[in-house]
Amino acid sequence: MIQFPNQVESDLIELSKSKSVYLEGNILKLVNTSSDEFQQYLDTSVTKDTDNRKKRLEVTRQFQDQNKELLAKQQENDELMKSLQEALIQAEKAKDDALNDLSVMQKKTQYELIGNIVQIALYVIVGVGIVVTGMYVYSMSTNSTETTLIGNTWSNLFGILLTNSFSIIGTIMGVKYADDQKSKSSK
Amino acid sequence: MIDSIFLVDDEDLFHLVFEDACSLLNISLSLDAVYSTDEAESMFAEWQQKPSDKPKCAFIDLNVIGSSYDGIELIRKVNKQYGNGIVIGIISSSVDPNEIERAKGAGAMFWIVKSDDIEPRLEQFHEDFEDYVDGIKSFTVYQ
Repeated sequence: MIQFPNQVESDLIELSKSKSVYLEGNILKLVNTSSDEFQQYLDTSVTKDTDNRKKRLEVTRQFQDQNKELLAKQQENDELMKSLQEALIQAEKAKDDALNDLSVMQKKTQYELIGNIVQIALYVIVGVGIVVTGMYVYSMSTNSTETTLIGNTWSNLFGILLTNSFSIIGTIMGVKYADDQKSKSSK
Repeated sequence: MIDSIFLVDDEDLFHLVFEDACSLLNISLSLDAVYSTDEAESMFAEWQQKPSDKPKCAFIDLNVIGSSYDGIELIRKVNKQYGNGIVIGIISSSVDPNEIERAKGAGAMFWIVKSDDIEPRLEQFHEDFEDYVDGIKSFTVYQ
């Protein structure tokens, strides 16, 4: 314990009266006095210090609670953001899958259409070829006067049909090549 | 009254709460506080050179964020490397029995549960303090 000189005690009392300034902190626990007046001053200082500490403790605890709440909310937000990001990734994946399925379906439809066209064209070519060849064979077997005319017609027609067949095949190959190039560049 | 107390805790608001609680309960005259176990270790190393500055009691948080190791590891280091000689223990919001056993094994003398109303536990610890100094008090959990 420490004891202040009388002059210091008087000065401190005077300071408290004129400026309302008091000693504060743990030093108050170490000061001793034989003066009743200074003891009263010390008691007042201790009361003021205790009140201030209580107020500060209360405010600090409020801050602490708010801080905890903020941290909990921050954590909640982080978890929400994580869930949203995961949902976004899944949605993008679903979109890509849907686009891929659509592309596959479109290609399938195109190929089916091309296949139908080719089939019909081939039926027409083969049909016409069979009919004209039949007519030519018939005219030859009956020694018809029209044999030469039909022969020429047959040879012309066969040339045209062959040319058309290759033209169709070429077109199909071209379409397929262009489609492959397109899908490669889109990747 | 405990002359000097040392607190290791990463939360600065808790430094204020602890200081005010100790002062209001007349537990201590002075408080030194640091924010990491690394800082604390360097202070213990200094006190080894100058034992008169050493605090009488140390409260170490279990999980000190921003530190190289936790509070229990600090207690182990302090006891083994720096010749402790002070009343040292953990102050934590955790009551994990495994961690409590770990702390006991590392040489902690007490475990105080940190919560909003810490004052009753600090008062109880204060009552037992001299027994810790005399070495007659066994490891105690204040919760």
